[in-house]
Amino acid sequence: MFGRSAALLVRELTTDDHHLRRFNYDLFDKVISEIQEHFQQVTTIMEKMQGENEDGQISSADENYNGALIHHQSILRNKRCLLAYMYHRANRLQRLRWQLGAVLPEDVKELLHPSEKEFVKSYSEALSSYMTKLDIDLAVDITPPKDPYIQVRVLNNIGEVLLGDQSTSLVRNSIHFVKRSEAETLISQGLLEEFTG
Amino acid sequence: MANYYDIQDILMQDETVSTVFLHKANGAGFLDPSSEDNNVARGSVVDLPLWLAQDLVQRQILHIKLPSCFNARHEQCRPNLPLILENVLRVRKEVQADPACVDLHSKCPFYYEMGCKLVELSVDPTLGPFLLTTLQGRYKDLLCKALTATLSGNLKFLPHLTEEETRLFEAGRDSVKAFKKWRLQGPRIEKAAILGRKRNRDATPIWS
Repeated sequence: MFGRSAALLVRELTTDDHHLRRFNYDLFDKVISEIQEHFQQVTTIMEKMQGENEDGQISSADENYNGALIHHQSILRNKRCLLAYMYHRANRLQRLRWQLGAVLPEDVKELLHPSEKEFVKSYSEALSSYMTKLDIDLAVDITPPKDPYIQVRVLNNIGEVLLGDQSTSLVRNSIHFVKRSEAETLISQGLLEEFTG
Repeated sequence: MANYYDIQDILMQDETVSTVFLHKANGAGFLDPSSEDNNVARGSVVDLPLWLAQDLVQRQILHIKLPSCFNARHEQCRPNLPLILENVLRVRKEVQADPACVDLHSKCPFYYEMGCKLVELSVDPTLGPFLLTTLQGRYKDLLCKALTATLSGNLKFLPHLTEEETRLFEAGRDSVKAFKKWRLQGPRIEKAAILGRKRNRDATPIWS
């Protein structure tokens, strides 16, 4: 009651800005059942009011009206919290699509609600089809680089990767001179780092 | 509602205020644990979250009492003061003495926003100007600290700031950080923050 669990759900969003938490099924369902409880209360009060007033007129000075109003406000509040929870998670997922490219890492996927996975998939598809239409990769750094090539250091053994028109073997701690636009996704995925030596 | 999805706004409205019911409300017994018949009686005093109180005040179902953190009435100790003097005392003495030193966070984490809402509901006519002077008194100090604070520096005063002030402080600190980064021309592309934890876990020493 009092929308406490809904507030807890929203508070979860504030704890860390960049990391996604596992979708909180328990709390989410709890809020929904709270809403249903309020809804039941509203209907019983409404029925009572209809019964009392023969002509079906509902006046705002009624004592019952106040009670119904309180329940109604509680429903609206809970709804707002649930929507905000979904909205902010969806926003974070959108940001991830721009940072990490079309494929989400497995450990992030585990944290999502099925509907969120669906959302990521369709968002990613929409974005990719838009970029293909424009024929520009919009996810690269906005500031034009001073040099189209950069030096990168490999952080993990990746193996053979197709960079440009030739395949390169990326071995741990090796340093490569590659096209900046190709390196960017790999850097944001944490596989390479920019080498400034 | 422009800030429908605003997390801060949602959490701010969860703060409770003490209210007095001006009318009876049937079927809302969950608000008042002392009620026996699932109704809230007229004149009962209930602590309600702001989101609920706000609407009910506008419909004149209840009346909000000014939360104590916005009010430091001293009439009780000196009941015979003339009206003007009473008003002066009413201006919250502690904050007036030195706004920068007061721990507002412990009084109410969303001090200003909550205050603004209460002004809208016209709970107390002097509240608005008081909030303004409070922020003015605290802002200069806050800005100085935000721009000079080092990352590992002494942040003892941080828990004293309200949520709004913490955001201001962080904005200031981040802009200094961004400026330094720009000056030193650090690497522009960075690993996505969400992967940070995972890499730390998998990290093996370089020379293995």
